[in-house]
Amino acid sequence: MKKYISILFLITITLIIIFSINLEFGKPINLEFANHYLNKGIEETGAMNLVASVYLDYRAYDTLIETVILFMAVYGITFFLRREK
Amino acid sequence: MVLLSSYGEKNKMKSSNIIKTIAQKLFPFILLFGIYLILHGHLSPGGGFQGGVVLGTAVILLFLSYGIEETERKVKIKYLSIIEVSIILFFIFIGVFGMLTANFFLKNFLPLGRTGQILSGGFMPLLNFVIGIKVAAGIFGIFYILFKYRGEI
Repeated sequence: MKKYISILFLITITLIIIFSINLEFGKPINLEFANHYLNKGIEETGAMNLVASVYLDYRAYDTLIETVILFMAVYGITFFLRREK
Repeated sequence: MVLLSSYGEKNKMKSSNIIKTIAQKLFPFILLFGIYLILHGHLSPGGGFQGGVVLGTAVILLFLSYGIEETERKVKIKYLSIIEVSIILFFIFIGVFGMLTANFFLKNFLPLGRTGQILSGGFMPLLNFVIGIKVAAGIFGIFYILFKYRGEI
């Protein structure tokens, strides 16, 4: 009985999620930033590669946190796997 | 690696002369390719993360072909943690320097230069270089810990 209730619950939640999201794929609502990066990216940052101009100039703070995340991964692996000899 | 480590303690991991020679010849070219990816990160596809992974795999190739002791003699492991920590501090220092000269954290403070040359894009080559060294040290550090203390990959 419990199993059927949980399955029914999952199906209803899936249907709610499917019918509540009405976005068409490939049609984002907010294109303001994308158009700004495409039109003014090269003259504002001076880089040919627009991906680099986004992740190193417009969103450099995210890149900083990303390097911190890599550092934390190395730290965690070292902490859990190191054995004293 | 699992197969090799199940040989037992007596048979130490040995690789043939072919693998050693090819790894020795390939090592500078892989390093060169990684440095190229890092330096051209703001001009062409690539960048700090990808180039750093290539640099890390170059050292891993040496590691796999020569074994753990010989590589430890060539690559100083104790400097890895110093590199890891000091590079994050350097990154934050660049951000604070941008805050002092311009008004924002991590604001570009170098001149932009002509688009298309290597020295263009302000501080982007500097940041790419920093991230590349960081990722190379991180990838190699993870691999080294797994290899040394677990004996498998």
